[in-house]
Order: sequence, then structure tokens, then C-alpha cells
Amino acid sequence: MSLTRRDVLIAGSVGLAGVALFSPRSARANDEALDLVQQLTGRTATVSDRLHLIMPTDFPTGYTVPMSLDIDSPMTEADHVRQMRVFAPRNPLIEVASFHFVPQRSLPRVSTRIRLAKPQHVVAVAEMNDGILLMTTTWVRVATDGCA
Amino acid sequence: MTTPTPRVIVPNTAAKGEIFQVKTIISHEMETGLRHDDQGNVIPRKIINKFVCSYNETVVFSVDLHEAISANPFFEFSLRATESGRLDFVWEEDGGAVYMLSHQFTVG
Repeated sequence: MSLTRRDVLIAGSVGLAGVALFSPRSARANDEALDLVQQLTGRTATVSDRLHLIMPTDFPTGYTVPMSLDIDSPMTEADHVRQMRVFAPRNPLIEVASFHFVPQRSLPRVSTRIRLAKPQHVVAVAEMNDGILLMTTTWVRVATDGCA
Repeated sequence: MTTPTPRVIVPNTAAKGEIFQVKTIISHEMETGLRHDDQGNVIPRKIINKFVCSYNETVVFSVDLHEAISANPFFEFSLRATESGRLDFVWEEDGGAVYMLSHQFTVG
């Protein structure tokens, strides 16, 4: 039922190596994350600084890594974010969570704690009400595997 | 496994239109289905897979959880105070079990 890294690798007929070789360089990370989002959703995302994924750069345990996610949005009926999804591409199962917001009723921000199996760029994708996808990534280095 | 126990921290009152913060947590192992027991058998997946917050029966915030949400899932989020009434919090577990909490809320 869940997407595994293997599914994604098989799904990607182009650039097989690209997904597997995540590097800490953020420009390249963005390209790889954009490919990943394309494979998962069939749609093209845009890197955006409206979206903020805040996590520690270094964390001792992969079991409970703090994560805060928000987006600059007026949350009106005409202009709001429908959902924000988080992916951990180097976890055995890459989907982390989807957060759903409601215009006028909830602010587009959330904090939680997630598991990371290894150091990686965590990816956040926001789906806006007009269907546009915005994306950002953040590098997190964990010292222990939180998925074992 | 202990019985999952949900807790929320929410103010009791707010001014109309005010943004207020909600903190929720449920004690839960969030067994990922990736681990093995001493005999080498896979320990089946058992996670909280959905969290829904409703405000007078309108869903105002929800989460689809996957295996990478940590044990004892915690969420902090922000809602707008629109009218007095009830906030309902529902956690759904693999296998169909549901855990719930309600909170009365006054908008002055």
C-alpha cells in the first residue's frame, strides 16, 4: 500500500541513478526532489521560498526528529493551501504524512516528530487550491537509524 | 502494548477571530511493520493512520500518517476561533480502533 523506494526506482524510467544518489548539495537535491515529486504525483512542482520546512541540521536520534512546516498563504477561499505532504526519500518507506488545512479555519502550519533512517534531504510539497505544487527541501543528518 | 491514551492542550476560551494553538498527543508505539521479533517473524504494522480535528462537526485540520511519524504521535497546529462549541479529536488505528477526545470551547 505504501510507496517504497524500490517502487519509485522502478517507476522512474529516466534518471534511475538520480534518486538513489542524494547529495548534500542543495541545488542538486532540489533537482532530485523535483524528479521524485514528478514520479509520485505525475505533476511538476516549483521550488518555492514561501514554504518553510524547519528541522535540525544535526540530530542524535532518527526516532524522533522535530519537524515544523508552514507556508505563506492568506488562507482565503480564493487563495489557500489544500494540503502539505512530507517525504523522506532515503527511508525504507518514503511517505511521512499529509496535512490538510481549511481556508478561514486553520493556519497553514504544523509541528510534529518524524523518523529518519539515515542522513537525507527531507522534502515538503504544498498543493495549492489552484493545483500548483510548491516544494522545498531541508538537509538533516541523523546519527542513528530511526526506522530499524 | 499499553492502551493508547490521547491528550490535548487547548485553551478554554478565545476572542472571536483569534488564532489559538492546539497541541495533541496519543501514546502509541506506531509499529512500522519493518521490525522482526526474536524468531525472525515480521511484527505486523500497527500505526495511527489518521488524525482528524473537527470544530462543531466541521473538519478544520486532519493528517494522514504513515510509518515515518514517530511513536507517540504529536501534532501542534493553529485554528481560528469562530464560535463557541465543541472541538472533537479522533485518532484512527490500523485494524479499525478509534480513540476520541472532546473539548468544550467558549468564544467570548
